[in-house]
Amino acid sequence: MTHPCKQFAARLSLVLLASLAPLTAQTPQPIPRTTIFLDPAHGGSDSGARLSDSLPEKSLTLAFATRLRALLSTSGFSVVATRDTDPSVPFSTDQRAEIANHSHPTACIVVHATASGNGVHIITSDVPPPNDDTDTRPPIPWDTAQSASIPQSLALANALGLALLHSHLPVLLTRASLRPLDNLTCPAVAIEIAPLTPADSDSTPVSDANYQQQIAQAIATGLTSWRRNQLLPGAAR
Amino acid sequence: MIPRYQRILFWSLFGGILLMSAFLLRGCEQAHKRLAALNNATPIAAPTATSTEDITLYLASDADASITPTTESFALPQAPTLRARTLLEHLLATYSLPASKHPLQSGPAVDDVFLLAPESNKPDKPNQPNKPSSDSSQPNQLAIVNLRGSFVDNHPSGIQVEALTVQSIVGTLHAALPQITGVRFLVDGQPHDTLAGHADLLRTYPAVDTTTHPAPPTETPQQ
Repeated sequence: MTHPCKQFAARLSLVLLASLAPLTAQTPQPIPRTTIFLDPAHGGSDSGARLSDSLPEKSLTLAFATRLRALLSTSGFSVVATRDTDPSVPFSTDQRAEIANHSHPTACIVVHATASGNGVHIITSDVPPPNDDTDTRPPIPWDTAQSASIPQSLALANALGLALLHSHLPVLLTRASLRPLDNLTCPAVAIEIAPLTPADSDSTPVSDANYQQQIAQAIATGLTSWRRNQLLPGAAR
Repeated sequence: MIPRYQRILFWSLFGGILLMSAFLLRGCEQAHKRLAALNNATPIAAPTATSTEDITLYLASDADASITPTTESFALPQAPTLRARTLLEHLLATYSLPASKHPLQSGPAVDDVFLLAPESNKPDKPNQPNKPSSDSSQPNQLAIVNLRGSFVDNHPSGIQVEALTVQSIVGTLHAALPQITGVRFLVDGQPHDTLAGHADLLRTYPAVDTTTHPAPPTETPQQ
């Protein structure tokens, strides 16, 4: 025969547990980690496009990525970058994709720059989206690994494009076949910075610090907005 | 007094010089005749009259990243490979005009275009080498566009500008030669990673209508 105090204590603990159960059910789910993969393209012997006599693309992508990284960190994102210096032997595009795919980021941003065009080009991979009719899960080819993430990548490109438009920056959403974009398994876009060439005023080169800061700020805002939409109930994951 | 043996030596050498001069003059005359024969413009085969036809060029514009089909009328050879090569040379020459919306440097761009028959691509026939096909009625051909290194070296570098060139080539080939289902690229006969650092040249591009007019971002996310 058990002691009445022990019985009371057992009942009390059961009541307490039962009363706590709804509370634990109502506790919000922990916010998924918000890692952003940042890839300043080119580097080392691969200098990329020649933007001016003394400015190769690899230097501009690194400078812009450093700027964007600081803003993203301030906005609460953790950032995984493929380089923060100009290494003599840079990662290949396949290695960059491997780094991204292993870190399972929320979004992947590949940074490029060009001397052609106007404003900011947001490029999504043009690999075809997955076929929903198939019940089986076939192996994903490396060359089209981005395929499963195409709907999310298009939504990400749209969110970043809206943020850039709200910052009064011209933006073009296009699709292209590009490494490592085609090999990433996360929602991914390439940001290509082109000179600002308005019809009614002087052009702004891609090396302009204010121009870069404006773009970086808009991208950080767009990523925050996109992530917020992703966390909404019923949002496509 | 000059010794006798020195006079003999002098006249022997002088005679040798005369002989060599005569030999060289004869050789020059023969070489000249050979070169003149190569430049003979006497017609051998009867000329064939090729009528002009309407051809759709898929023209790129850097300003809005669009590809727009434009119909032009000009003469093209009937042989599919020659037709494809002439078409692409005409397309890329259009981009070197001053009013081009997708400016590229002038100069020869395409070295060759090969059309591969579908059966030669099947892995179950390893002993059959890939043979270029000249039969335009054969469906599902793969076009191999062999670009010149000078064209690739001088192409503007950038994701969008390179993608537009590739899409322009693919769309134009698709419109003129519907039997083509895929397009691959070589540079000076070798596989090449990218066009000018960005656009992937190692993959096979599906030959489809590449008309593009990028839409601006919308408040309702596009899926």
